[in-house]
Amino acid sequence: MGSVRNTMNELKAMKEGFRWGRRPLVPRSAEEHTEPKLDRVFPSDWARTDAGVAARQVILKAGMGPIVRNELTLRVYGRDNLSGVEAPLIFFSNHSSHLDATLIMCTLPDAWQAKTAVGAARDYFFDVWWRQAFTALVYGAFPIDRTRGAKGAVDKARELLAEGWSIVVFPEGTRSPDGHLQRFRHGAARLALETGAGLAPIAIVGAYQAMPKGRFWPRSGRPPVTIRYGEPFRPGETDSHQDLSRRMTQAVTQLFDEDRATWWEALHRANRGETPSLVGPSGPEWLRRWEGSRPVGRTGPAKVWE
Amino acid sequence: MPRPGFVLEVDERTPPLLVHEGEGFRMQKFPLGTRVVYPPDPLPGIRDVNAAIRHALLHPVGDAEPLPELLKAGMKLTIAVDDISIPLPPMTRPDIRQRILEQVIELAARKGVTDVQIIVATALHRRMTADEIRRMVGERVFRSFWPKDLYNFDGEDADALTQIGSTEHKEVVEISKRAAESDLLVYVNVNLVAMDGGHKSVAIGLAGYRSLRHHHNVETMMHSRSYMDPRPGHSAIADSATRMGRLLAKNGLRIFQIETTVNAETFPKNLGFLNKREWEWSAYDQGLMMASRKTNQMAPPRVRREFFRRIEAPYKITGINAGEVEPVHERTLENLHRQQLVEVRGQSDVLVLGLPYLGPYNVNSILNPILVHCLGLGYLFNMYRNMPLVKPGGVVILYHPVPWEFHQIHHPSYIDFFEEVLAETTDPATIESKYEERYATDPWYTHLYRTSHAYHGVHPFYMWYWGAHGRDHAGDVIFVGGEPKSVARLGYRAAGSFRDALEMAKDTVGSSPTITYFHAPPIMIADVV
Repeated sequence: MGSVRNTMNELKAMKEGFRWGRRPLVPRSAEEHTEPKLDRVFPSDWARTDAGVAARQVILKAGMGPIVRNELTLRVYGRDNLSGVEAPLIFFSNHSSHLDATLIMCTLPDAWQAKTAVGAARDYFFDVWWRQAFTALVYGAFPIDRTRGAKGAVDKARELLAEGWSIVVFPEGTRSPDGHLQRFRHGAARLALETGAGLAPIAIVGAYQAMPKGRFWPRSGRPPVTIRYGEPFRPGETDSHQDLSRRMTQAVTQLFDEDRATWWEALHRANRGETPSLVGPSGPEWLRRWEGSRPVGRTGPAKVWE
Repeated sequence: MPRPGFVLEVDERTPPLLVHEGEGFRMQKFPLGTRVVYPPDPLPGIRDVNAAIRHALLHPVGDAEPLPELLKAGMKLTIAVDDISIPLPPMTRPDIRQRILEQVIELAARKGVTDVQIIVATALHRRMTADEIRRMVGERVFRSFWPKDLYNFDGEDADALTQIGSTEHKEVVEISKRAAESDLLVYVNVNLVAMDGGHKSVAIGLAGYRSLRHHHNVETMMHSRSYMDPRPGHSAIADSATRMGRLLAKNGLRIFQIETTVNAETFPKNLGFLNKREWEWSAYDQGLMMASRKTNQMAPPRVRREFFRRIEAPYKITGINAGEVEPVHERTLENLHRQQLVEVRGQSDVLVLGLPYLGPYNVNSILNPILVHCLGLGYLFNMYRNMPLVKPGGVVILYHPVPWEFHQIHHPSYIDFFEEVLAETTDPATIESKYEERYATDPWYTHLYRTSHAYHGVHPFYMWYWGAHGRDHAGDVIFVGGEPKSVARLGYRAAGSFRDALEMAKDTVGSSPTITYFHAPPIMIADVV
């Protein structure tokens, strides 16, 4: 028995250490010694052709949507903010889970869904052909090069906006490790300033608790997740990209506040400059994770037997 | 261009790392921030080895003439070859020594040389068996010369030794009479580590106890601050060998030195994961490692030993140089450093070493506790230039089961050394003054050395001295997984796990020490700056 237990323990250690079933990672100090990957990006334009759009809508409506609604207690608010708004828009939201892009794509109104593409990290989603193909097909995704800074990231996005496509970006650049909002990078703001496209804030509440970084399927128990679309806005003429990034952060923060309290209260707090911050507590990493993973209450109408 | 060696810093992405522990290995999770020194990737080998040998013989370096011009009818030619202690593990056939011998003998035959003898330069190592020699020199050479003109050196045959003289440091130089009286001595060397080759080949390989005692002693070892750095002033033993070699040359001994270097392809394909960096292991490598480890654990000791004994290294040759000893050796070291040197910044509080199943003195044999001490603190600890990887007074943590086990035929004097000498003291200086002479001149050990396949009576002493510098430098030595009784006999401490070892090391280096894991084999040299 002891030997079987030892073997099981060793297998467990191997599974964890070598990340079985997950993407293998190279230790940071060894990264520069790996062979540079071929600088080749799988083409993604085909996913935005009519056939690609049709296929995506079938996948989202018949596949991803039902799965998401089956695994999560999903609530969506504020979609009416998008009605009558002129495309294209730059949708932006907080980013704490692999669920985020899926949730946005599944909850966008049909007219927007058909002509929206998600910006996906080139180094993560566009490294092997099958991942590239999947990401492009399901999300209409285009690659964002995170290594080249704000300027490099906007090349393809600019092209899409010019063609009338709306895009989804996550200005934090990567998923939050602890569920709290990270600093917004300036790529999206620069892009809005440059192209004049409107900015549509989205708050995704509860995705971190449902499927944080490291998980590849939502927790059991249909955890509650709320998607809250905010009112789109356009950059002011005198705004700098720093100002605009601050406005964007405020818009997402305010949507979170609206989710916690009411639209009315959130508006007043915003006017007073008292919107509660989303950056989380300062302190050790465990504390931030602890606070970030605090369960989100199930809001909405109570079940009849409660 | 193969990747150079490098120092990894363990982070949360780092998988468990492979650590050798005798006839086995384990996966060990190291604390975050641990430095791990990895050897460079194997250099590409020479494509046409036979052509390279021919080129080296015809275009020697230094003042030497091409070999064919040195060979004349009627001359007395002696060829000496390194013994089974290098390379490790033994290389796949044909051994490079066979290839070189065949070409040298071919040239000699064409020039009408008839008086040729081949001596296996064992010094005080055990005599190689006929099968081992056949494997090393090849069937053709073996059938032509064994046993009359191809034989093991005998360091106790007074009639076959001759005293050449003494160096300016009063070191007696006594080597094989046949070699000394030859018109030409060709030495065929395999250079696995930086302290092999050069003047050491003849001055040590073909010498007996009377000569070896001048540098194989505690005083010299303690002043050899870097065994693997043969530059003058860095290694007292290398300096001594150089003085002896130069005396031989001054006395008219003509040596044609042929030195070879191998790359880092230490393990065969079926154990290929041992040559790779862990995060680059494929699923197949991971499965293979687990399967090998489990099979190895379940196998009876005899089967396990046989499995490891059969491992042959698919080494490729990276350099062949021939000619005058010193210029040849300079080139050899260049080649060796190209393959083995890894720059490491600064020392750490704790040095971790995984001891493999094999050292120079247990090929086809058992790695007994004294050899474990020598392999850990004598060899792996000393694989550095400039300064050791661990700070003075730091802790060395070694992985090995250290079984209380000896090869009865190969290591008879080791048994008595372990039972008698180490039971009384582990201090190298005391051991040297009190016991060395008796063991070195013991008629029974001498008899076994000369007629059986036993290491010389004094050999365990040399092994003990070999680790003297490491032992003196370290504040504490802990064996993970070591048999407590045999580890205690060596004067060290045993721990059940790495965590326990770090806990035990707290007294010496505190609770948050800096740790360096020297990820060898494959062999490398840390250039600590």
